[in-house]
Amino acid sequence: MVKQEQELDNRPDNTAFTQQRLPAWQPMLSAGIIIPGFVLIGLAFIGIGVALFVTSRSIQVLEIDYTGVAQDSPCFKCSDPNAKNCMCTMEFSIDSLFQGPVFFYYGLTNYFQNYRRYGVSKDANQLSGDLEYFTNPSDDCAPYVYDNNKPIVPCGSVANSMFNDTFKLFQIVNGARKQVPLDGKGIAWWTDYNVKYRNPNVTPLRNAFNGTVKPVFWSRPAYELDPTDPANNGFINQDFLVWMRRAALPNFRKLYRRITEGDFAEGLPAGNYSLEIAYNYPVLSFDGEKKVVFSNVSWMGGKNEFLGIAYLVIGSLCVVMSIVMLIVYAKFKFPEED
Amino acid sequence: VDCQSESFRYPQLYSPGQQNLYFNKKVFVRCMMHSWYSSLILFFIPWAAMHDTVRDDGKDIADYQSFALLAQTCLLVVVSVQLCLDTYYWTAVNQFFMWGSLAAYFAVSFTMYSNGMFLIFTSAFPFVGVARNSLNQPNVWLTIFLASLLCLLPVVAFRFILIQLRPTINDKLRHKVQMEALPAPAPRRPPPRRISTRRSGYAFSHAQGYGNLVTSPPGWSPGQTFTLKLSQYSNWWCFLADECRCHCESVHMNIYRI
Repeated sequence: MVKQEQELDNRPDNTAFTQQRLPAWQPMLSAGIIIPGFVLIGLAFIGIGVALFVTSRSIQVLEIDYTGVAQDSPCFKCSDPNAKNCMCTMEFSIDSLFQGPVFFYYGLTNYFQNYRRYGVSKDANQLSGDLEYFTNPSDDCAPYVYDNNKPIVPCGSVANSMFNDTFKLFQIVNGARKQVPLDGKGIAWWTDYNVKYRNPNVTPLRNAFNGTVKPVFWSRPAYELDPTDPANNGFINQDFLVWMRRAALPNFRKLYRRITEGDFAEGLPAGNYSLEIAYNYPVLSFDGEKKVVFSNVSWMGGKNEFLGIAYLVIGSLCVVMSIVMLIVYAKFKFPEED
Repeated sequence: VDCQSESFRYPQLYSPGQQNLYFNKKVFVRCMMHSWYSSLILFFIPWAAMHDTVRDDGKDIADYQSFALLAQTCLLVVVSVQLCLDTYYWTAVNQFFMWGSLAAYFAVSFTMYSNGMFLIFTSAFPFVGVARNSLNQPNVWLTIFLASLLCLLPVVAFRFILIQLRPTINDKLRHKVQMEALPAPAPRRPPPRRISTRRSGYAFSHAQGYGNLVTSPPGWSPGQTFTLKLSQYSNWWCFLADECRCHCESVHMNIYRI
């Protein structure tokens, strides 16, 4: 009897939770839900696909390759590795109004910013303005940590390889060149400009860089990146921020400027244009290419036909599948016996 | 309590486990093909959607961190919905954990990528701002939607067609019980009327086990075997649960009388 009482004590509680009697919903893959579901999803996808495709088609893109590989290219003379401070001019024309606001990107190909050793080669503490790391940069930045025993600020491969070609755009009107104003404010993410990258809290800014040197590949130190705008210097320089946000894929574009002001607020009117390039960035050693891209944007971003086409294809496949399933269900419905 | 449920009315529910229907080489290869297909979708759909595109204000979206977040979110959504498809028995606990884990993923992502965490642990949280800047873009959500449905719809279609063409015992039983339940629409399904079909997924009765030792009480000679192998195991299960003793002994006697 005692043994039975002990067994009764150890018995688990007789509640719904412990005896697994909780009320439950038991869904089943029944024809009444699946087949109409597939039809609905298919139709919705086709609708979204049409919207995406039409929007993508309406976005205008103009790409101009200026690497200078071909002998007859205007920038061929600059592709010589010994040429320093070379300038070249590319001429192009636009047939119809290029709707504004127009975004001006530079593009690189075969450039692996997603390479891991390259990507970790920076010091986040230095870039958020911590002066301790100015004198003692992190070892992640190797081999760009010290130059002649002086610490490099900003250290690392990512900062060192910053893109340094500059562009000026002119519209040819009656034989005269009219400069197109390029706006470089706010081209980087708000969080990069305000949170992730901060200048050290020293005025004037150049005093914070005492005892340090600029990166090996740069022509100007960080506190002089933009002589025209004092707020666009140091680590919060917009071009620097855009470069530091490393690209995921080997062929990428980065925003350079926006064309939104003056006579070009509506966009780039049809006509002839000339692009003056200060060709500094060497890409031929790794078979890379440089190009300039003009584009406008829409609610879905830049021109990308893949999403529209994918949605259309998948939507049609869903509708076809639902018909197939309907046929299977009608012909092969399993009999009702156990 | 288990012995009061349907599993005794339908002992054939134990047969898929004994026949290794749910885990054999063919099923394993099928599982591998499914994962291979899903991995291709989960990388190449974001890759194609992010190729040369930008945010709706012209700024960067094809950067390394946004791409990583996109692929990761697609993966989480696919895995959660696949789990939903595999869960046949939704109690409150299931609901809480299923939706809770999706919500927790977004909560943790936004927390990890917030300004506060970056300011405290600067080099540990370099993804600051990524969730805010990429998850407010319609084309990112459309990509997530596309990748998830592309991974899951084939599974649903395949399962549906398989149920119609080659239904297993579980499918037939579930269908039968649902048909029986339909004519009398009660406002709430009474709990005791549940099928322990998920139990039969636990194919643990397929090994020879100790059935012989447990089920041959004194008086029965070891040579006496049953025509219905399944009943042997039903009784074994039963003998382990004290409460079932009276129920099971009566069933035991019935089966032995074949």
